[in-house]
Parts: sequence; structure tokens; C-alpha cells
Amino acid sequence: MARKLLLEKAHVEGIRHYDVYRREGGYRSVEKALKMQPADIVEEVKKSGLRGRGGAGFPTGMKWSFLAKPDGIPRYLVCNADESEPGTFKDRYLMEFIPHILIEGMIVSSYALGSNSSYIYIRGEYDWITDILEAAITEAKQNGWLGKNIQGSGFDMELYVQRGAGAYICGEETALLESLEGKRGNPRIKPPFPAIKGLWGCPTVVNNVETLAAVVPIINEGGDEYAKIGVGRSTGTKLISACGNINKPGIYEIDMTISVEEFIYSDEYCGGIPNGKKIKACIPGGSSVPILPANLLLTTAKGEKRLMNYESLSDGGFATGSMMGSGGFIVLDEDQCVVRHTYSLARFYRHESCGQCSPCREGTGWMEKILLNIEKGKGKMSDIDLLWDIQSKIEGNTICPLGDAAAWPVAAAIRHFRDEFEWHVNNPEKCLTENFGLRHYADPIHVPTN
Amino acid sequence: MSDEIKNIKVTIDNITIDVAPGTTILNAARQIGGDVTPPAMCYYSKLEGSGGKCRTCLVEVAAGSAADPRPMPKLVASCRTTVMDGMVVKNMTSEKVPDARAGVVEFLLLNHPLDCPICDQAGECHLQDLGYDHGKEGTRYQFARRTFKKEDIGPYIQLHMTRCILCYRCTYVADQLTNKRVHGIVDRGDHAAISTYISKAIENDFSGNMIDVCPVGALTDKTFRFKNRVWFTKPVDAHRNCTTPGCCGKATLWLRGDEVFRVTARKDEWGEVQSYDGKPGWICNTCRFETKKTESWKIEGVTTISRHSVIGANKYKTLEMPNETVKRVMKGVEPKLLMDIHSISNVNNPDIHLSDIKGPAHSGDFKK
Amino acid sequence: MIQFKETSLKKVAEIIARYPEGKQKSALLPVLHLAQVEFGGWLDVPVMDYVATLLKIEPIEVYEVASFYSMYNLKPVGKFLFEVCQTGPCMLNGSDNIIDYIKQKLNIGVGETTTDGMFTLKTVECLGACGYAPMMQFGKTYREHLTKEKVDAIIEECRAKAN
Repeated sequence: MARKLLLEKAHVEGIRHYDVYRREGGYRSVEKALKMQPADIVEEVKKSGLRGRGGAGFPTGMKWSFLAKPDGIPRYLVCNADESEPGTFKDRYLMEFIPHILIEGMIVSSYALGSNSSYIYIRGEYDWITDILEAAITEAKQNGWLGKNIQGSGFDMELYVQRGAGAYICGEETALLESLEGKRGNPRIKPPFPAIKGLWGCPTVVNNVETLAAVVPIINEGGDEYAKIGVGRSTGTKLISACGNINKPGIYEIDMTISVEEFIYSDEYCGGIPNGKKIKACIPGGSSVPILPANLLLTTAKGEKRLMNYESLSDGGFATGSMMGSGGFIVLDEDQCVVRHTYSLARFYRHESCGQCSPCREGTGWMEKILLNIEKGKGKMSDIDLLWDIQSKIEGNTICPLGDAAAWPVAAAIRHFRDEFEWHVNNPEKCLTENFGLRHYADPIHVPTN
Repeated sequence: MSDEIKNIKVTIDNITIDVAPGTTILNAARQIGGDVTPPAMCYYSKLEGSGGKCRTCLVEVAAGSAADPRPMPKLVASCRTTVMDGMVVKNMTSEKVPDARAGVVEFLLLNHPLDCPICDQAGECHLQDLGYDHGKEGTRYQFARRTFKKEDIGPYIQLHMTRCILCYRCTYVADQLTNKRVHGIVDRGDHAAISTYISKAIENDFSGNMIDVCPVGALTDKTFRFKNRVWFTKPVDAHRNCTTPGCCGKATLWLRGDEVFRVTARKDEWGEVQSYDGKPGWICNTCRFETKKTESWKIEGVTTISRHSVIGANKYKTLEMPNETVKRVMKGVEPKLLMDIHSISNVNNPDIHLSDIKGPAHSGDFKK
Repeated sequence: MIQFKETSLKKVAEIIARYPEGKQKSALLPVLHLAQVEFGGWLDVPVMDYVATLLKIEPIEVYEVASFYSMYNLKPVGKFLFEVCQTGPCMLNGSDNIIDYIKQKLNIGVGETTTDGMFTLKTVECLGACGYAPMMQFGKTYREHLTKEKVDAIIEECRAKAN
């Protein structure tokens, strides 16, 4: 059984409420942190090797050390709880069931960064979770963990929850800040980065929910101890939200040393594929990362067992690998159609494009239309190359990473499942009723016995 | 600005130039000029915050700076990227840029109606120029194009959203030149549109400048629409003592004969409103829409148009006589007509013998 | 005249107080949520103009924002709004069938409202409940692991509430 840091107490009755959370050792990290120098906390986070859990995997301590500290100008910490990447629902779980761990992490982090007003920007659809968070904040305040002169330390801090209103793009940190300022969620053109000019033009750090929650065990146990968990540059634990065609969808905390195979098939985690079916493909890190056929998912191109961590999941680059991303693990079984699934994701990105820059605004809709044609048996062979060309013209050429996020799924689907696209073109009638099924990439390990 | 310290060295397409700190790659390239300068559809140097959106000005940064000579991993928007000392930029010399730019042009044209012959902007359209210079022939888009209804936003301006490329320039004009913005961007993604949302008139003295900054035919001058083709009109620089605060009173009049067909601000070689003493020469709606008599203006002379599009052709100052090719081919003989259609032409009067006409024949010679 | 009730006005003041002085525009999204709940489930132009006045911003700034975010309804909706997720992970688990079933059951298309004004069906993109698919947003919360039977039960529940 892997070590749990965030979900250790998840099943304690009443952990959502302050009294239980405190009884179980909650807010110890705040007590400890307030006796430390802010710079030492940043140092611990650096030592921990914690990487941003929102998707990009940028080292958190380094991000914190970039924060500008000009005199007389406030600094802000903003929590990115705009969890919207298809396949990802881990932050929701943390906030819904253990809201105090986020609040605790935010107090420590705000103290480290010098933020006296911090904000949780939560996706608008998580309406009831907003209530849960606000209730928890009230409890924390009543118990002296927020407000003026926290625990006699002289540190003042207020924490507010702000709801978005339905826009995936607000998960991009500068779009989030725009939205928090009451504007359209158009990503800003960088530089300047938020660390220099963020919320209301002030230096700002934006961190994911899970990242900020992870600060709690890092301070409690020390950065070095945290770094001992995991492997290589994948330190600590990671929440994986598993969904799609698996027996046990849900949230799992892993220590990043287990293999993908174990994660999918062991009863401790996903519990295998329902109805004895084979796995066809998987998107291991949220919808925008490359889809992998089963064979490349379970082993790398070099033939090594693929592990559930940053390095191993991206082994082979985009040619034969994928990414850890946000930890949204989407499994497709043998009955699923990759063309249809790719179309669905293309529709998602078209719907979520802010429309600010031309490659994304125009390109996402174009890809969606072509994919729908292929899916409906109306595609041409040249459409496949056209799709490839369109995605290549979007990738890297947009203001924000949404362009890449829209391009990668299409590119990976064509890269690994071109035969399925061609089959759709060649079988315009059959593709409406039948399934392409499995080919060479079928899971070579788990042949169902029945 | 001549006393500006220019101590930052940047190399663009193998041409090195010294520029002031804080200069963007695009503005550095504009200082060099010519093909080195990337095209810009949304950036407008007189509008703060503009740029970064259209992606036509993407360039390759082959070396970030002298201190950190690593290349930048992605192409960057030159209009919003500041030069660093020792930076090496590739625009026309890049292997990646032309392809990426052709892609951007295709995206911009994807939902743009290709009906230039009936568009009022034709001849002075930046998208037309961009398409010719950086686009590819034909379209690969096989779906219905996005369309919107035409909308009158006030008595002077028509908005035809179908042609808009969402450069946002007009919203910056409203923000920065007027005290009340009533139009903006509504909706999002590929449905995003310039709109007042409630079909409201845009009423303020400087709204007409939105037409000048619009790179395409989305915002057009209702007092000029379809009255003439821009290339048939003759632009002259003129000024008047305008009493509207903030109006520079310096304009270009677009004439046909003595008739003023339209009035615009004066444009520089990048198609932007010219600056006077470092201030943009915006003009007010009275000058633009209400002052259409030549006697209200003091005409300075023929406008030099340095842009290379249709309106730049045949205009006027550096008029060059064409080579007298025919005369040369005919070994010095000046022909009356190239072919003998004299006897069958409905225009010519066969009763008038060609040898009676002195010099080259003109239509008037047959009407006698 | 459009005016928030007293408790909402207090809430608006509370929200504005979260931001530094002069940054009251930041309250726009939360205040629009309040307005949508209080003024009939959608944002009519006079409602948005009222919000603009409250926050001392131009009406266009409100229209720009309201039309950007998918949760704001710019047209009237039924008493009960079914927002069914159709993105990848939900699709893998049969969200298309659920959408079809609701269409047939309520005899409306996507984006339409039943003639009695009771139900509106919308399809939405990923709501972060991928492990509990198929699902829909129903008011403040989610309804997950949808089946035809569950859809029937929800519709019954609505009808009971309406009576």
C-alpha cells in the first residue's frame, strides 16, 4: 500500500469539519510555519521537488522564488481551482471532502509569499463546493487561523472564494487572473508573467489546489523527507483521477513508483477493464496530452515498463510517449472509436477557445468539422493529412497553451491510429454501425481468459 | 526622440541595428524597414495594449540575447516581444516563419468572405495585402463560412462582422480615444464578435477613427460606402483649423475631380495614423464626415502613399513615364492604331481618314 | 424597476469588500451569478445594466463578460435546467444515449425548452465528474452515474417540486 499524504485521512468520519480535521493533526503545518522565516518555507518547498500539479509540472519552489517583492506593493496568492481538463476531477475531491487541507496549505503558502489577501478561483459549476469551502473558511477564521494576527504571529491574512462561470480557459493562469478581475477569460500576452504583474498588476503566484495542499505535508515532514517519496524528479505523491472504461473510476493517491500496468489492473487502483474487455488506448494525463495505444502505454518504446510518473510517462517524447499532465487518466476499451473520441475532444476545445488569437479560434473549429465528417463516413483520405497540417499550424503559434492542448490530441490520434481514420474513410457505411476494434497495438499482456 | 539612448543591438535577418531599450522586435524591424518587417494585423503602435492576437508577426528568435544566446523554443509575436541586447531574429530568413505565417493567413481567411470585388475596403485592405504577400493560393476550407448581419452603429459607421478578423483595434480606440465604450467583444471562440450587444449607436466625436484602424472592411464609412473605388480617387493632404479638442485637423482628402469623396486621417507607411510631435494624428467626426467641401480645407499637395497595395500603385508623386515600347518595336514609327480596326469599329468614324489625324489618334479625333 | 433584494445587496457589498479599493469590477462574475438566480434564471439586458450601475462600470463590460461564460443564460430557460455533459469521458460511458433519452422523453431538442416552460435541455462540456459519468448539472449540484431510470426519477422529482 502506497504512502498517502493528502488522502490519508480522507475516510475519517467528519474530516470535512474543522474539529475532526484539527483532532487528526490539521493545522500543525501552520503552527510550524509561522515560527519559520518565509524564505525558509520557500526553501523547504524547493527541496521537496514539488512540481505543479495542475498539468505543466513546473517546480513550485522555483515559481515561488520568481515572485517580485517591490516595496509597498501587495502580493497575491491565487489558488487555481478551475479544474476543467476533461478526465480531471481530483481537486474537486480534495475541496469537497478535505477542504481544510487546502486552506491550511494556503495559509502556509500565503505566509511564505507575503500575501495578505488570497483567493481561491473555483470553477463556477462547483457551486456546492464553494459553499463547503466558505463554511470551512469561516471555521478556520473562528479558530484563529485566518484574519488578523494569526496565532499571535503578527501575520494577517484573508481568504476568499471566487466562482468562475463556465470557461475551461480560465484554468490558464493569466486568463484566471483576468476572470478574477471581472473580465473575459482572455489569456494575457506574456511576458510579463504573473510573478511580476499578476492580479491587479501586482506580483502574483497562481498554484493548483493539489499543489497547495501538498505544501502541508512538506512543511510537516520537511522538504527532504517529501523528496524521498517517489523517483527522480517525480517526488512526493500525486493524485490521479481515473475514468473511462475501468472497473473502479475514482481518485487515487500514488507515490509515482508504480507501473501503469499495476495502476490499471490491480484491485487497489482501477481494477482492470470491465466485462473482461481489452484496453485499446489511454490518455494518461488529461484530455490534452497525447493518447497512447495500449502497447506503448504499458511499456516504453525501449521495452521498459512504463511507470506512473512525470519522466516515464513522457519517455519517448510525443513520438512514443505522452505526459503526466493533470493526472486525468482516461481509459478506452476495445469497443471505443478513437475517431469519435478525438472528435469529442476537438469539439471541447473549439467550445472552450477564447477566440482571441486566430490559429486557435479558427483552427479548432476547422478540425472539429473535419473530424465530424470522418466520423460520419463523409471524410476524404486527404482530410487526414489536412488535419495533421492544421494541428501543426496551431501548435506553438498561439497566445496560450490551449492551442497546443487542442492540437496534441489530434496529432497523437493520427500518429498512432491512422489506420482507424483510413478505415473510416474507406468504409463510409460500415463505420456508422461497426467498430474498427483492435489492431497491433492491443494490450499484449492482458489477454482475457474467458 | 532623437536623444533616445540606443544601446541595444539586435540583428534581424542579418541586419544589425541599435535600438532603445524596451523596443519590440517589430518596431526594431520597422526601423530597418522593407521585407525585414513582419506584417501586423492587430498591433497598432498608437493603441496601448494592442497586438499579440493575430499571430501574423510571428518570428523566430535564433538567439535570445548575448548573455543567454539560447534560441527561443517557439516562434514569438514580434509585436509583443522586447528585444534583448545581442538578440538574433529571423523573419524572412527563417525556415519556420513563412510556413507558420502562411498558416496564420489561412486561418484569418478561413471565415473571411473572399468577395473583395464587392468589398469597400478592397485596394487598401491589409488582409488583401497579407494574402498576396504571405498566403497560399486557393483554400482548403470546405465548410460554410461564418456570417453575421450587417449592423449600423450610428449614423456614420457600418459594422459588417462577417469581414472582421477580431484584431480588437476598434475596442482600443473606444477605450483610449473616447470617454465611454459602448461596443466590445461579445461571445467567445469562433463565435466572438464585435458588437454593442444591444444595437446601440456609437456616438462620440472620435468614433470615426475606428474605421481608420480597421485593417479590413468590417468597419466602413457610411458617407463613402460604394460611392467610389479607392483607387479611382486621388488623395491629397489637407488641413483645417478644427476646434474639436484632440483633433489634429490634418487629413487626407480622397478626391475625384473637385469632389471630396471621403476624409481619413493621414496614414504612415505601416498603414497607421501618422504622428505629429509624438502624438497620433486622430481626426474628429466633424472633419471626417461633415467637412466634404474642398473650400473648407487647405490643400497641401498630393499624398505620398508608400504602402504597396492597390492604392499605392500609380500614385502620383513619383510618376514615371512608361517605356515607349511600341515606338521602339516599330523602329521609331509612331502608329496611329496598332491594328486596322478603323473600318469596322463602331467608335471610330471611318469618314475621318487616319492620315488626317496629327500624332496618335484619340477617341475625340473621331467625334469631329 | 430592477433591484436586488436587501440580503442580496448586502451580499454584493460583502463581495466588493473582498477586493482592494477601486477594483469592484472584480465582483462582476459573482454578482452576475446572484442576479441570474434572483431574476428568473437568465440575464436580460436591464438586469445586466443594473449590475453595471451597481459596480460602476459600462454596460458593455457586463455584456462582454456575460456572453463569454457558458453558465450565464442570455435567453430565458425553463424552471429546471438539465445540463448534460457530452465530453470524451462521459461519451465513453454513454452520455449520447442519455441526451437522446432526455430529448425523446421531454420531446425537445438540445437548447430547447418544453412548451410548459418546465424543462430546458443543454449539452455542456466537461464538468469535472468524469469518474462518475454520465452526469449532468442540475441546479447547484451534479447528478451522476445517470441511467434512464435516474433521468425518469429526476423528471418526476421536478414535477413534484413544481406542484
